[in-house]
Amino acid sequence: MVLTINNLVKRRGTQEILSGITFEARPGRVTGFLGPNGAGKSSTLRILLGLDHATAGSALIHGKPFAELQHPLRTVGAALDGSGAHPMRTGQAHLRWIACAAGLPRSRVEEVLDIVGLTKAAGTRVKRYSLGMGRRLGIAAALLADPEILILDEPVNGLDPEGIRWIRTFLRKRAEAGNTVLLSSHLMGELAETVDDVVIIKQGRIVADGTLQEVTGSHSTLEDAFFALTSEQAGDAW
Amino acid sequence: MSVSSGRKTIRILRAELDKLMTLPWIWTAVTVTFLVHLLLTAAFTSASLQEGAAAPGILNTGLASMSYLQAGFIILGILAACSEYTGGQIRTTLTVIPWRGRQLFMKHLALTLITIPAAFILTASGVLYAGWRLDGHAAGVEPHEVIQALLGATGYLTLTTLLSAAIGALLRRTLPALVILLGYYFIISPWSRGLLPAYFPDTAGRYMYLLPSSGELNVLTPVQGAGILMIWSVSLVAVAIVVYRIRDA
Repeated sequence: MVLTINNLVKRRGTQEILSGITFEARPGRVTGFLGPNGAGKSSTLRILLGLDHATAGSALIHGKPFAELQHPLRTVGAALDGSGAHPMRTGQAHLRWIACAAGLPRSRVEEVLDIVGLTKAAGTRVKRYSLGMGRRLGIAAALLADPEILILDEPVNGLDPEGIRWIRTFLRKRAEAGNTVLLSSHLMGELAETVDDVVIIKQGRIVADGTLQEVTGSHSTLEDAFFALTSEQAGDAW
Repeated sequence: MSVSSGRKTIRILRAELDKLMTLPWIWTAVTVTFLVHLLLTAAFTSASLQEGAAAPGILNTGLASMSYLQAGFIILGILAACSEYTGGQIRTTLTVIPWRGRQLFMKHLALTLITIPAAFILTASGVLYAGWRLDGHAAGVEPHEVIQALLGATGYLTLTTLLSAAIGALLRRTLPALVILLGYYFIISPWSRGLLPAYFPDTAGRYMYLLPSSGELNVLTPVQGAGILMIWSVSLVAVAIVVYRIRDA
């Protein structure tokens, strides 16, 4: 298995924000990690990417913690919230230092800027980017080394309808080429057409895990299934 | 494809240098510091000439603004460290370079490589200006004394920048780091002069560039001053790296 999250627990002070999270993401498939805001999606991804430490459990990539990967950028392309760039730096300069750190040629920077449609804004400071442009820059950074795994946190946030359509198609193509795609979102409707597998998290606990068909079950949409599952689990409707 | 540890380290250093060089705040800090330093040196030089001192010292006059000059380098160090925490850049840094200890060490090394020439050019320009304006009025100064003072001043400013970067890395926020460091260097330390022992970073470090004076009590030699300031800077960088490795980003 490419991404394996096993019994992950995270406590901050007295609060347990992740309680035994377990799921996997497989190659050739788009795995949607879905849940409402504050459910623990970003916390799980941050531990998977080595940004935060787990209180217990493990989050492994090819059986290793992220920090033990020989080529992190060639293995995993990650885009968390925002652009991940200093606002005073240009988009191009941001991608160039990343390319430098990963030993990639500068020409690759121009290629990914073209892929995400930021060529004209390459020399503009990131502080002048719209929310959608910032997301595109984050995705460009994730694509720099053409990684086999993509981990995207709320990728459609801030994107216009054209951008959402672009990312849906793009992610499907990545998965069809045999890559592993894990994306989180609180917008179930936006991603129902994109994902193959679904993991639903609420209040730090997994409430459903399976293929899109399995999780949707007898409900008409993934969104309906989500509300039904989470209200059953929590014993309340929200 | 396996990449040797040495090549990986060089790439990290180049990336950290690239980050610093493409951050406009770094150049603004250096440029403003340079201009303020020249203005202050010009003012101190004019004052020396107007006071009609029998033989004003070129080094004393050229380095008279060191206590103000250090503010620019403190800001430089803090900006270099805290810029990681602006715009969520730290997340990008750690997903590209997850080897935290090596990454933060290389950031300090990159900062050192930028600071040394900047500090030398700034201090040398002050001394050159004072030498030009005081030509014919100043007491003679030996070339080795000039070199020693300039190297000492460059070393002092570089170590102060590293110390500031370490504090910035620990606090992660620019404003608190600025308040603490500028508060110490410009309020606490000057007001408590004589009360603080000579082994505080600024009180010890100033012996690195001050020429020994026969009229004053020279508590430390330049080497002792450099050693004490280096211990402060290296210790704080080490603490910053340890904390960086164990805490959440």
